[in-house]
This record gives sequence, C-alpha cells and structure tokens, in this order.
Amino acid sequence: MPERPQPSYLARILMVAWREFRHTALTKGFIIGAVAMPLVMFLVIAAMPKLLSRKSPPLVGAIVVVDASGTVMPRADAILSSRRSPAEAMAELAARPPESAAEGLEAAAALAGDDAQVVEVSWRVPAEGESIDDLKAGLTRGEFLAVASISPESLDPSRDASAFELFIPSSLSPKHVSQISRALRKAVEDERVARSGIDRELLARVSRQPEPKTLRVSPEGSEAKENTELRFIVPAAFMFLLWICVFTSANYLLTTTIEEKSNKVMEVLLAAVSPMQLLAGKIVGYSLVSGVMLVMYGGLGIAGLSVASMMDLVPMLHLVYLAIFFVMAYFMVASMMSAVGSAVSDLREAQSLVGPAMMILIVPLMLWMPIVENPNGTLATVVSFVPPATPFIMILRLTAATEPIPLWQTAAAIAWGFGCAFGMLWLASRIFRVGILMQGKPPTPRELVRWAFVK
Amino acid sequence: MSKASNTPAVRIERVHKRFGSVQAVEDISLEIPERSLCGFLGPNGAGKSTTIRMIMSIISPDSGSVEVLGSSALAMKDRIGYLPEERGLYRKMKVGEFVGYMAKLKGVHPTGLSRRIDDWLERLALPGVSKRRCEELSKGQQQKIQLLASIIHAPDLLILDEPFSGLDPINGRLVTELIRSEQARGATIIFSTHQMHTAEALCDSVVLINKGRKVLDASLAELRAKHDDRGLVCEPRIDASDFAARAEASGIASHTRIHDNGTVDLDLADSHDTESAMAAVLGLAPMRSVALRRMNLDDVFVEIVGAADGEQKKGARIDA
Repeated sequence: MPERPQPSYLARILMVAWREFRHTALTKGFIIGAVAMPLVMFLVIAAMPKLLSRKSPPLVGAIVVVDASGTVMPRADAILSSRRSPAEAMAELAARPPESAAEGLEAAAALAGDDAQVVEVSWRVPAEGESIDDLKAGLTRGEFLAVASISPESLDPSRDASAFELFIPSSLSPKHVSQISRALRKAVEDERVARSGIDRELLARVSRQPEPKTLRVSPEGSEAKENTELRFIVPAAFMFLLWICVFTSANYLLTTTIEEKSNKVMEVLLAAVSPMQLLAGKIVGYSLVSGVMLVMYGGLGIAGLSVASMMDLVPMLHLVYLAIFFVMAYFMVASMMSAVGSAVSDLREAQSLVGPAMMILIVPLMLWMPIVENPNGTLATVVSFVPPATPFIMILRLTAATEPIPLWQTAAAIAWGFGCAFGMLWLASRIFRVGILMQGKPPTPRELVRWAFVK
Repeated sequence: MSKASNTPAVRIERVHKRFGSVQAVEDISLEIPERSLCGFLGPNGAGKSTTIRMIMSIISPDSGSVEVLGSSALAMKDRIGYLPEERGLYRKMKVGEFVGYMAKLKGVHPTGLSRRIDDWLERLALPGVSKRRCEELSKGQQQKIQLLASIIHAPDLLILDEPFSGLDPINGRLVTELIRSEQARGATIIFSTHQMHTAEALCDSVVLINKGRKVLDASLAELRAKHDDRGLVCEPRIDASDFAARAEASGIASHTRIHDNGTVDLDLADSHDTESAMAAVLGLAPMRSVALRRMNLDDVFVEIVGAADGEQKKGARIDA
C-alpha cells in the first residue's frame, strides 16, 4: 500500500481550531452581535453630542405668557436667546440632573459647546379679553409654540415654588418643550430670588459645597489624585471584560460540543482525529474567539479612555495582567465546559453539572465591592486562591489596589492558577475522551470523576 | 475464512470488551484479507458496531489485540475510511466545505480538492449541492454525503456500518456500485448490514456475530459448498400440487414443498444427482423454470442465530 504524507499532530489540531473559529467568529451573527454592535454603539456615543448639536431643529414662533406681574417674560426671553457655555451647562446639570431623555440630550448638546440652533421666538402677553381657552385654541391652530400660565403665588419668595402650567401643541418636539420649559423655570427662579432681595451671585457662592482635592498618599510618600467613582468602576470593568469574553466563548464551546454529540458527527470526527486533538483544537479555536472579543471590547474601552484623556487610569502593567489572567480564566472555564459538553446530550442536562462551578464563578461578581474596597484584606486574599475564581479575583485586586498587592501573592496566584488550569485541562481531557461516545442519561458528578480515572 | 496470499488488512486476536455488566464482545478473533469485501452480519446488539469501533481505535478492547493495515488504526487513520452507524454531519456547514474539511483532516492536499469533490458529487447524483448547507439536503442525500466524506481520501480500508439503511432502492444500487468500484480500486471493505441479500450479492466473505461472539467466519464460496443442498426449485406450468405428487411418485424427489408463488422445492432422492434430476423433471410436466436450489444467507443466519438462541433458552430452562 502506498505511503502518503500525513498531516502532523499539530496540523490536525489547527485544522479543527480554524473550523471552530471560522464557524463561530466569522459568522454574520457573531460579527453583528459581538463586533459590529459594540463598535457602532461606541461610534454613536462618541458622535452623539456633535450629531445632536448639528441637527437641532430651529425654534421659531410665538410664546404667550400669562403673568400678572409681567416680569417673567423678559427674563425667559433673555434666557432662551442666550447660549449656554459648556461650564454653565455642567453647573446646571450638577444642580438639577435631567429628568427626561430630551433634557439629557439638550444638556449633552450644550456640553458639546457648539449648538448652532436658530432661535427666533417672539413673546407676548394675552390680548385684552383673551382667555386661556382662546389661547389654547390658538395653540391648536398653530399660532403659538406654547402658552404658559404663571400664578402670582409661584413668584412669591415667601411661599414654596409651585408648579406653573405650560400648554403646548401636540406637534412640538420634546427638545423644544425642554428648552421652553427650562427658560420659564429659570425665569421664575430668577424672579423669586430678585424679589427676596438676595444677591444671586452671593447665594450661588455661599451655597456651593467645596470639593475636596483628594490625594492618596502611598507608603513611599508619592501622592496620586483620587477618583473614588473610577476606583470602583475600573476594576469592575476589567473583571466584567474578562468574565464576558471567557464565558461567551466557553459557552460556544459547550453548545457546539453538545451539538456534535447530538448530531452524531463526533464519531465521524474521531475517525480522523484523536479525542485529544479534537479537544485541543476546540479549545484553541474558541480561545481565538475569546481573544477577538477581548481585543474588540478592551480596545473600545481603551479608545474611549484615550478620547477622554483618561489613559492614566489603565497603566500598561494592568493590560499585561489582563492578558495573563485571561489565558488562565479561559483554560479553567473552557476545561469545565468541554468536559460537561462531552458528557451530556442537551443544554438542560449541562446546567445541572455546570451549576456548582458557576456558584464559585459568581463569587467575584458578588464580592466586587468589598474586594475593591479592601483589595489586600483577608477575604480578597483567601478567595484569590479558590479556583476557578482566582483569575477574576486577582484582576479585581490588581486593578483596584490603592496599595500594591504583595508580589509573592501575585506570583503565587499566577503559579497556582495556571497549575489548577492545567489540572482542570487534564481532567477535562480524560472525561472528554469517555464522554463523547456516551449516550443516554447524563452522568452524576461522581461518575464524571470515575471517567477521569478510567483506563 | 479463506486465507489470501497477502497480509491481512485487519487482524483481530482474542478481543474482549465489556460495558458495565454487558459483555459486548467476547473472544473474537478474525482476519480480513486485503482487497476483500467482508460483511459483518448479526442481529441488533450483537456486537458488530463495537467490533468496528475497536477496529477504528475509537474504543480500546479490554484485552486482545487489533492490527489494521499492519499497524494500529490510530497510526493508519488516514488510510481508513469510516461511515459510522449513527450518521452525523455539521448541519450548518456547506456540503463542499464539510467534505473538504474531512478530506483535509485525512491528509488530502487542498490543491484540486474542490474539483475532486464536485466530480464525486456528480457521481453520487448530487450535482450542484456543493454550496448548499447540509441541513438543506434530504436524509438520503445527507447519507450519501457522509459516505463521500468517508471515501474522498481514497482509503485502503473502508469500514461502512450499515451503509444501506435508510436508502431507497435507487440509491442502494448506487452505493452498491460505489462499494464495488472501491474494491476494484484496491480497497479492503468491511460493512455491517442486516440485509442478507445485499451481503450475499456483494461479499467475498461474511463474519456472523451473535451475542458478542463470532459464530461464523467463512467465504461465500465455502458457505455455498456447505449449505447448497441437493435440491431443485421448479416452476411448473401445471398445478403445483399435481407436479409435486408426480415428482414424489416418479422417485425424483424424496420430499417436496409447495410455495405460495407456485414454485415447488424438491429434495432429491438419493438415486438422483442434480443433472439427472433436472432432465427427469422436464419430462414430468411442461415447466416455466427449473433451477438448482442455492444457499440462502437468510436461512443460514436464522439457522445459526436461532440455534444459539435455542441453546440459551434450553439452558435457561434447565437452570430454572
């Protein structure tokens, strides 16, 4: 019989890996869901203020103000005509957060600082004998943009500010409603302040709470600017990034293994490759899928921070840690999923076997706050050494650390974590080679262990 | 089994395999000569697929040895084509892509592969399906694609587990022709089947497995020599019972059997050999046809498996 060249052991693994990658990551579903969507979202968010400011429709028309004092109208006119500076918009936002999407969009446009909206509003009071009902009828005929009715009580500084009525036609855009409402609201407030005799600027000055300039002092004596919110958010972002990328692809690994079993394609494959080659190919293939997601989402995050000039929050060392713990987390979770996938016939059966491991993997999500609060505490240190939570806890601790994690702990967690990952991989390969040919009722955890040690 | 002059394509020696409390295969030894076409026969659950899986090294025997193409099946994977009993393919993959993937895993060079796949698809009466997803094909078409995936790399040993199950007569004939052409190319072929007439028409030899044990291992020629008995199958133009009475009265037949289709089986009397009996029968009545009674693999199967079952039942009664 003639000899023919055979693909090498590694070549077969890479063939399997490429098929798995190609049929997962190069599909429309994956490209749209995992790559295009985040990219589009990022672009939309980045471009939102610009888009909003450029496309603000002109505000043109007449507004009627029913106000016995006649003081609100000129104030509102001045406010609506003037453009807010980004600083003013920020100060207003801090004092009163937006209460609707339209208000939020208006504030975002003002923050962008280039609102090119045309505002040509004429103000008037009701004509002699003109009732509110006549004005409302005028609204429906399109004669006015809005009709505001402000009671004398609303302007009395000795009383609490009461609501005023604002009538608008059904066609008025939410952004215009928000603009008119803001101008009138502010005009009423200014009038109340003026009537009370308080100096507006003095009031603003004395009522402003001072912001502490927080500097975190390290044991070496260096000082770093503190940002409390980001101190919590950045580690969580790292951990969730790891979690999502690892679990999405490991879940693909689980479902395709189950599918190959239930499709009966497994035995066809085993005629061409060994169980170890098949498992290795699948794990390598889905590690690429996971890697693509990590680069995609992580890259978007970094791009976002770079745009916001906040790259100092993510030092290069953290990215190195992310890569190390990503590999560790992926091998741990992929081992579990491939072993379970090989042992069961459908996803429902898989849930009961994956359940206990998932309990441990949810720990980092539950302990996110206390660990970030005290990354060198006993709790954080202990759970760092509980696989498969190790990589998730360690990335939380290392990126949250306000004081360095002891080097020995980092080194020990990496060594221990990779040791456990390879142990899990070995166990998974033993279970996989038995499980893929098994049909019928799913094994118990005890049977899984027995499979691992069967000859 | 008749021994060919060259080395066997498959040599199994004293192989045992147990799954839990079930002894799936017990002490099977056999040799399958190169370039032969061997049928694995046996009732459901007899141990055929387990034996095949051990030949493929998909599972290991508890004891005994299996040698394929002079080595282990693991080392010879690329020279073996395998169609498992439980068919499977990637449903979302395109046909050409799936066959190509399997071919590349088996060491076929990518150059000219797609042309080769298209040629094969034409041959299997599936032209133009290369770009269609596997799930879009009918069950029979999928089965032919799976068969193609097992032969695309021109294997030296082809193992087909129930290749005819689920195929209509036209596709069954197509697969039969394919098996013959693969044998003509030089491949050794093992196939398991329940269809005795197919085995009878195709095989050089048969291995009959029952309850995990090999109960028959012989070439078809040996089987015919052993089981072709002294008998004729006659189709008279007159009433079958009249003809049967004449055959017995004339001393040609010691015993007769009349079938529903009007044919009459004659067991020849000791005084007649087959040639003289045929000539004598033609003198008894006008005949549509007279033929030598040939071995029927169905009968052999029933005889051997039935006898084994009877023995077991008898044993069970004694035990009880």
